[in-house]
Amino acid sequence: MINKFNRIIFLFSLWVTCPGLVLAAPEFKIEIKNHLFFPSELTVPADTKVKLRIFNHDATNEEFESYDMNREKVIMGNSQTVIFIGPLKPGDYEFFGEFYPKTAQGKIHVE
Amino acid sequence: MLLSSVIIILREVLEGAILMSVLLALSSLRGINLRWSLISLLFGIIGALIYAAEFETISTWFDYVGQEIVNSTMHVIIVLFLTSFALLYQTHEQSYTKTKNTFMIIVVALTIVREGSEILLYFSGYLDKSDVLPSVILGGTIGTGIGMSIGALLYYSLTYLIPTHAKKIAYILLAFFSAGMLAHAVTMLTQADWLPARHILWNTSSWLEENSLMGQLLYAIIGYEATPTATQLTAYVIGLLLLLALPKLLEKGITIHAKNK
Repeated sequence: MINKFNRIIFLFSLWVTCPGLVLAAPEFKIEIKNHLFFPSELTVPADTKVKLRIFNHDATNEEFESYDMNREKVIMGNSQTVIFIGPLKPGDYEFFGEFYPKTAQGKIHVE
Repeated sequence: MLLSSVIIILREVLEGAILMSVLLALSSLRGINLRWSLISLLFGIIGALIYAAEFETISTWFDYVGQEIVNSTMHVIIVLFLTSFALLYQTHEQSYTKTKNTFMIIVVALTIVREGSEILLYFSGYLDKSDVLPSVILGGTIGTGIGMSIGALLYYSLTYLIPTHAKKIAYILLAFFSAGMLAHAVTMLTQADWLPARHILWNTSSWLEENSLMGQLLYAIIGYEATPTATQLTAYVIGLLLLLALPKLLEKGITIHAKNK
């Protein structure tokens, strides 16, 4: 009896502590060309961890930065990188390229 | 171009400048020779050059999250050595000067490696663009100047205070800095999906935006985060306790042990 109870508690805590660990995070693609993000607006599901794969087609380095999502990462020129975001509540979350902030602007729309 | 390079370089320089000025203030309050700071600067710059040169390879490690893993490892090492330094500083006032100096060199050099490499990666994009390069360099110089001035201001304010107060304030600043470092390490591991992702607990950006001047300053000093998660908060509290509670606990342990003898 106690054993069964323990097992339930264990499974429950596993379920609470490791959300999305079993399911692979859905992947979305963003490209950087001429210091612009393509797409500059991306819609992702709410309350889900999401994998962003970012391709930088410029020769120059860029830094993906978002205060709204607590993310920052340097992406070298002519290379790709991976950033995990979320789980996020519905709403709009801005991001930008810190090295070229005048043009490199984008938004993650969560719904 | 000028303004954005001022902001980028200032953001990178600020953290190191503040850490260095707090440690310099703590050193001069205990009569420690300040030569260690030059050594840490030298090691930091060499390290930043190497890290920036190898950055492309490192970025591809662990399925493209090498950057987060290496950076968070550096942050954890910074926290460990800051904690060790703090323990020595609190419990052994006059002895272990060499060890204290080594710990400070490691901590400051690693902070410079981390921030300096980003500056180098930013500048490298402009090396072959002779039309904007002068304004980027000028902006970088101004940003560095502002960052160092803030550091100098902090150092002189601290050393101007009554020594016992200055020690306390500098020490508390160090504790908050260390906590911010540990929270940042956790953020990077979450970004790499090495730690489980969590919803944010609260959002104080309507009260103080992180990308405002004050927000940036507070970020550099105490690791201000407008939208923290439970994981970040836990790391922050642990970081604070390591510097604020651990020395006291150990001291108590030592006294009890001595009494029992």
